[in-house]
Amino acid sequence: MKEILLAVPVLLPIAGGAGMLAMHLGTGGKNDDRRLMLLTAGLVAVNSLVIFWLLRFGTGAGLVLFRLFGNLTVRFELDPMGRVFAGLIAFLWPFATLYSFEYMKHEERKPTFFAYYVMTYGVTSGIALAGNLVTMYLCYEMLTLVTFPLVLFPMTKEAKRASRRYLYYSIGGAAFAFIGLVFVLSFSRTGNTDFIPGGVLNLEAGRAQRNLLLLVYVLAFFGFGVKAALFPLHGWLPKATVAPTPVTALLHAVAVVKSGAFAILRFTYFSYGTEFLRGSWAQEIVMAATLATIVFGSTMAVREIHWKRRLAYSTVSNLSYILFGAAMMSPLGLAAALSHLAVHAFMKICSFFCAGAVMHQTGKTQVYELDGLGKEMPVTFACLTVASLSLMGIPLFGGFISKWNLVQAAFACGSRSDGMMSESAIALPAAAGAGVWLPYVGVAVILYSALMTGIYMLTVLVRAYFPKVAVGDTGGEEGGNCRSQEGRTKFRDPGWMMLTPLLIFAAVILVLGLHSAPLMRLLAEIGGEAG
Amino acid sequence: MNLGGSLSIPGLCGHGLHFQTDGFRLVYLAVAVLMWSISGIFSQEYMAHYEKRRRYDWFFWATFVATAGVFLSADFFTTFVFFEIMSFTSYVWVAFDERPESLRAAETYLTVAVIGGMVMLMGLFLLEDLCKTLRFDELAKAAKRVPRSRLYVAGGLLLFGFGAKAGCFPLHIWLPKAHPVAPAPASALLSGILTKAGVFGIIVISCRMFGADQLWGTGIACLGTVTMFWGALLALFSVNLKRTLACSSVSQIGFIVTGIGISCLLRAAGESGAMAVRGAFLHMINHSLFKLVLFLCAAAVFMNLHQLDLNDIRGFGRKKPLLLFCFLMGALGIGGMPLWSGYVSKTLLHESIVEYTQAAAAGLPAASAGSGTEVSGRVITGILNVTGHAAFWRAAEWIFLVSGGMTVAYMLKLFVALFVERHPDRQEEFDNMSSCYMRSASKAALVPAAALLPLLGMTAHQSLDRLADLGQTFFGQSGPAHRVDYFSFGNLKGGLISIGIGIILYLTIVRGWMMKGEVRQDRESNQTASGNRYYRDCWPAWLDLENLLYRPLIQTALPGICGAACRFVDRYLVSCTVTVFLACSSVLCRAMDQLTDGAIRLARESTHSQLPRASRQSRPGTAQAGGFFAKQKRRCTERKEQLAERLLWLEKRIQKNGRLVEESFSFGLMLFAVGLCLTLGYLLLVFVRN
Repeated sequence: MKEILLAVPVLLPIAGGAGMLAMHLGTGGKNDDRRLMLLTAGLVAVNSLVIFWLLRFGTGAGLVLFRLFGNLTVRFELDPMGRVFAGLIAFLWPFATLYSFEYMKHEERKPTFFAYYVMTYGVTSGIALAGNLVTMYLCYEMLTLVTFPLVLFPMTKEAKRASRRYLYYSIGGAAFAFIGLVFVLSFSRTGNTDFIPGGVLNLEAGRAQRNLLLLVYVLAFFGFGVKAALFPLHGWLPKATVAPTPVTALLHAVAVVKSGAFAILRFTYFSYGTEFLRGSWAQEIVMAATLATIVFGSTMAVREIHWKRRLAYSTVSNLSYILFGAAMMSPLGLAAALSHLAVHAFMKICSFFCAGAVMHQTGKTQVYELDGLGKEMPVTFACLTVASLSLMGIPLFGGFISKWNLVQAAFACGSRSDGMMSESAIALPAAAGAGVWLPYVGVAVILYSALMTGIYMLTVLVRAYFPKVAVGDTGGEEGGNCRSQEGRTKFRDPGWMMLTPLLIFAAVILVLGLHSAPLMRLLAEIGGEAG
Repeated sequence: MNLGGSLSIPGLCGHGLHFQTDGFRLVYLAVAVLMWSISGIFSQEYMAHYEKRRRYDWFFWATFVATAGVFLSADFFTTFVFFEIMSFTSYVWVAFDERPESLRAAETYLTVAVIGGMVMLMGLFLLEDLCKTLRFDELAKAAKRVPRSRLYVAGGLLLFGFGAKAGCFPLHIWLPKAHPVAPAPASALLSGILTKAGVFGIIVISCRMFGADQLWGTGIACLGTVTMFWGALLALFSVNLKRTLACSSVSQIGFIVTGIGISCLLRAAGESGAMAVRGAFLHMINHSLFKLVLFLCAAAVFMNLHQLDLNDIRGFGRKKPLLLFCFLMGALGIGGMPLWSGYVSKTLLHESIVEYTQAAAAGLPAASAGSGTEVSGRVITGILNVTGHAAFWRAAEWIFLVSGGMTVAYMLKLFVALFVERHPDRQEEFDNMSSCYMRSASKAALVPAAALLPLLGMTAHQSLDRLADLGQTFFGQSGPAHRVDYFSFGNLKGGLISIGIGIILYLTIVRGWMMKGEVRQDRESNQTASGNRYYRDCWPAWLDLENLLYRPLIQTALPGICGAACRFVDRYLVSCTVTVFLACSSVLCRAMDQLTDGAIRLARESTHSQLPRASRQSRPGTAQAGGFFAKQKRRCTERKEQLAERLLWLEKRIQKNGRLVEESFSFGLMLFAVGLCLTLGYLLLVFVRN
């Protein structure tokens, strides 16, 4: 009986969202709004409670919902790694919903928005709870389809173009991922694709076809990497910032992109298994790709002056921190990747919500328009300060912890390859290649990226707190300043529905920064099991 | 006296924080408390007219906590945590008054701090990876097991981070920018104690981690020497009161770092580095106190005049004996005048350089740079051979003396400008301020601090020596080799040479070159000749490392090159790839498409030909090709027959199309069958193989 509960977090929101679409809820009237809010809030809250209940009391064995045919089953299970992701989204979703109530107050077509928003919750939980690769792949495809209308939501030309791009990229990526699924299924030791720590690949059969399997791994990595905005395939993410901020924040900084990263982690550590991949050329390729993405994302973020797009580029680079952890193929790497996955979710959602709060209150979207807002919206910018410092990796904040773990894992990875090379250079010829120095390059790349993060986040803060009023850098800016200084109303912090999530996320960042030991212990256990 | 104690907070900030107390740390904590309380009292008056006092106060005390954390830390992790907090909270000081130049300076400060912090973090990662520990106590032991070349890299990264904060040579750029714009009590702390946090780190790396390492010691000593000379040179040419003091800080930090380097060298040469260590430590304390006093005097000037240029503030100090006393104490102390505390520490540093010169002259133990690869080992040996010569260190000694002389010269410049010269127009106004230029609380805080300097200097054996005894264990030194008689002739000689050089430099450079007369517009005022002369900024404007090198590098080169590359990639590479791919694939697809059609056509024309050859002329294709005229003609002449003929023609066409569809379908089926056969064959093959 307990097992059946596992399907609830997936099916309830999907059914609820579909129901909301079917009901044709009216808009505009106060009662309509209230009904919509109650319905959405109820669904999300109940769902989160169910997930927390599951996390608290355990679930027993997995649940096979139905069979597609043969051994292709849709199966849900809550293992430790799934717990981390499920807990994360169950924590974030209610607050993000609260935020979007206020943000979307004056929008048209609210019921559609919230219906898909709720459905996305279900699909994302599906990814977190998926017990085998088939289920995860199904949810992964569904995620594209349910989030597509959300990107399209503003219905502007730009939004249409962005959503089309999103669709192409995601579907195309999933096709590559599908290849991976087929190969895992045919080379599986167990005959199905269940997630087992250490992988399900039949190593003897695999060794014969090693290069083919590695090629497929690289393809699938890039395929799943589309959602995680891996470098040549990142194009959709900055474009997708045209969506309303709650979507950008929750989906494009957490749910969707983290699903991509999570899928890669699953695929690497639970399907292929690190033993097969470690030290191979496939590892080098994917690691090099993640490093290129980190450099690319952080550099582009510095150059971008549209605030939300800047944050999106920052997401591109930060996601590759996670993937870099994944590409290390070591227990420490997995733990580090998961810790960055969790911490980055809070940091980025907090930054996006601040950007959204500013947009909502002032309508300003460009970085150079933010002069002096720090004093007018103190709470928002205090939260942004916390998030920015954390993103930079300043101690006391969560980002520092995950970055520390990541770099430590990289060093361990580098010295392990050193050791491997000296011990068995003949047995593992592949290990003697780029795998030795790549982790060290990674450390340098993270250093570079941290500097760039400093530049792109701190310029925002410095502008907000210390406006350049007297002598601007350029004439245009100066003119804009003068105008805004003279006759404008003072902006204020947004209402409680937007502030509460901000404050809570900022607090979580601080708590994670100060007292991260329990979380890290949990992640280290997962890493030890699967690495 | 047992001052040891330790405190651990496991789990906080990920790795747990560890604190420890010992003599050095307690002394420095006491110095910090003293400095913060005095400049705190002074801030009350200085900040009285600012709106944002609360912000200032908050960050003032937050920085205190962070600084105390740095000095009490027992491992590099804790140091780093508090170091970063300190950087960010003190940033607010620099940006405090939000004028454009403050913001620019604050930007520089923040950039240096952030880059320094990040580089330091990388050093920490590397160090932890190498040594598996970051605790100061265990580092020395752990460092012995590690390959030296890697340890140098880690040490170099850490040195970059700590040196940036301390103001060592290539990264000193923030000091002369940030100090003139920060509130004066804050600059007293920035220069007096925040830079010492950087020095603290350098001490730990040099004395704890490397200990007796000739190469490292040489590097640090050279760094210190360059810093002290360059800082003094900058200070000598500066015409701004606080900027001069800031550059002086750079120079004095150079003295301290030189001492640290020499202590490593002495230990490497098999001697006791106690003298160098004591000198460095005492100079740290002294410099903190000097800068406290001097910057607070500058604060008193700025509070009243809101100007800092020497030409605008000259003569302000006349008829203000209290200010004169305080400034004079600070100036004499920092100038190394015998009987003031600066003399003691400088003498110790000087003596230790001399000691090492003698050791080098007597011959050093053979350089033991066996580690590393062949080439780098040879390079290192070469470097050590050059720097092992006594002449090299004799030159260092002379740079030391000249830098000391320049210290005297620039302090003399400030003193003469403030207290001796008269302002050409506003002298009376200045004189009238004599009674009310400072509140009594501020006076009460400043005067004892100033009086402390000669007091310490005169009771050197009773006070300073004991402080040094407390501190030197931290540097890994046990006892002094011998008791130094500070007022012996040999030691006095060094100090006097410096002072002599200083006076000569003042008379030639400042008086002779920097001061120009007769250009000012106040010709008609009947002042003395010297009143008309003004201080000229002789420093070449382009020789500013920040504008010359760093800003172009960070603002233009890095984002320019990387950004352009990335933008190019973003805009063109990906879309080009997609376009090319689409183009290629569409060409390919069309070719494939034509291939099938072509195959059908070929089959129809050859093997599957079902139509008689003659009738081919009436094919719709040829009919169309037959032209428009034929149709027209038919329409005109044979209108009657038209309908029937057209119907016939249509019927024929329908039949033909139907046949075409049939054929295509059958052909498709055929191809499908071929595919099926191939698949079957493959399956069979696989089956047979298995």
